[in-house]
Amino acid sequence: MPEPQFWTALRLSLEVASLASSFLLLLGIPLAWSLAFHRFPGKPLVEAVLLLPLVLPPTVLGFYLLLFLGPEGPWQRITGLTWAFRFEGLVLASVLFSLPFTLTAYREAFLALDPNLLEVARTLGVPRWRVWRHVILPLVWPGLLSGTLLAFAHTLGEFGVVLMVGGSIPGKTQMVSIYLYDLVQALRFAEAARAAFVLLLVSLAILVAVRLLERRWRAWRSTTG
Amino acid sequence: MEVHYRVRWPVRLEVGFQVRGFTVLLGKSGVGKTTLLRALAGLVPGEGRPYGGLPPERRPVGYLPQDLALFPHMTAWENVAFPLKGPGRRAKALALLARVGLEAHAHKRPSQLSGGQRQRVALARALAREPELLLLDEPTSALDPLTKGQVLGELVGLIRREGLPALAVSHDPLLAGMADWLVVMGQGVILQEGLPAEVLSSPARVEVARLLGYENLFPAQALAEGVEVAGVRLRLALPPWARPGERVWLGVRAAEVIVVRPERPPPPENVLEGVLESLHPEGLAYRGVFRGPLELQILLPRHIQERLHLRAGQGLRVVLKPRYLHLMPG
Repeated sequence: MPEPQFWTALRLSLEVASLASSFLLLLGIPLAWSLAFHRFPGKPLVEAVLLLPLVLPPTVLGFYLLLFLGPEGPWQRITGLTWAFRFEGLVLASVLFSLPFTLTAYREAFLALDPNLLEVARTLGVPRWRVWRHVILPLVWPGLLSGTLLAFAHTLGEFGVVLMVGGSIPGKTQMVSIYLYDLVQALRFAEAARAAFVLLLVSLAILVAVRLLERRWRAWRSTTG
Repeated sequence: MEVHYRVRWPVRLEVGFQVRGFTVLLGKSGVGKTTLLRALAGLVPGEGRPYGGLPPERRPVGYLPQDLALFPHMTAWENVAFPLKGPGRRAKALALLARVGLEAHAHKRPSQLSGGQRQRVALARALAREPELLLLDEPTSALDPLTKGQVLGELVGLIRREGLPALAVSHDPLLAGMADWLVVMGQGVILQEGLPAEVLSSPARVEVARLLGYENLFPAQALAEGVEVAGVRLRLALPPWARPGERVWLGVRAAEVIVVRPERPPPPENVLEGVLESLHPEGLAYRGVFRGPLELQILLPRHIQERLHLRAGQGLRVVLKPRYLHLMPG
């Protein structure tokens, strides 16, 4: 079994990933909806900015976040809070880092909706919230959930951004990927192997769940025709 | 009910016509039929009456799009109950399904129903909204060709029984025959409207005649007591609008070109002599081409062919009876 410090780091990672995924769900649904269906000036630029974390080296994103959240940074001047090297900073960094994945998955789920269903729902004189509750969410939830799970797994595995923003303070900001790196730096390969294996199992379990959801989602969509 | 609408996008159209009972609006693809329906439902911007300026949620219409757009994750009764509110929604939905004869299928998903059954679920869902007007987009398109006529007949019967005015757009002349009122649409405009028997037997323009399936259409010149077509003089009474010397169109349906039986004396006028170029079965009837002074498509009912035993290549006399010849402005 891995040592207690591993479980502390894993717990921290799971907490950050859960919180980040929840924020992504709240933020991602309206954002992805408007990217899928609304036209507005400057849309290509907005899309490019939102997708930027996909191509940016994680250390670059982490560096800017560190400047933004650190002492004397803009975030402190606005809110009086310093989030660098803290749990809150890790969550914010994870949200930004996983946003492109989530948005792409959510948008695909929304675009797969048959637009006729939404139009007919409008002509039936039903208020918007009931259309969301009874038509949109039941049809897209497998897509939303698989996107969220992917973001969760992605957050568990992130390294560069969280190292820059959070450092590696055991019990406070040392996420499990950084813990593993520290073990290898200290040439403690046996412990590193045990920790890596647990992470491998967790990631695999998440991906299997995503695949199952996608299968279910395809089955839904095929009955639309 | 009077409909007057103007739409600029995605198809430009400006139309005015009446909806009386089960009204069929016939037109080729692309003339703007679907756009007109969507404008009436408030789904594309348009101005006019009824309902101009209202959002789709507030228009009292029951819209059935071409693919019906039933919610795939709901059962038949849940689909029908979707527009309903309150504790009695399930009972109301089941009553509506009974009205369209589907109470036995209330718990099936749309994918488990036939095309005609899906159509009736969509009708029940539209009725649940208590509309003033039903809008049907190509109701024949989702149906199996073999049972299309019967299924449509039942659907039209249901709509008549509800006593709701309905506007069905289609390019299928089969549906036109079932209408209470027939409207023919060209590119963005109405070409003709009237009782189906009137419109079908006397199209006002050659475009309408083409759409209604007139197989034989010829440019002609009006004479004092008939017309001249490709050098052939045919006798008929000119309609009031036609003056001798004017260019006109002559139309005659293949089924109304009459074969002269050899043992009988030929009628006194409008007899053409030629050759039967081809003859093929079409359903229970026979369709052929007559080549003489004019080339005509003909359609022989089975009982005629069983008596005459016509074969391709043989000589043939046909008569164009004045009452079946129809003139339209050139």
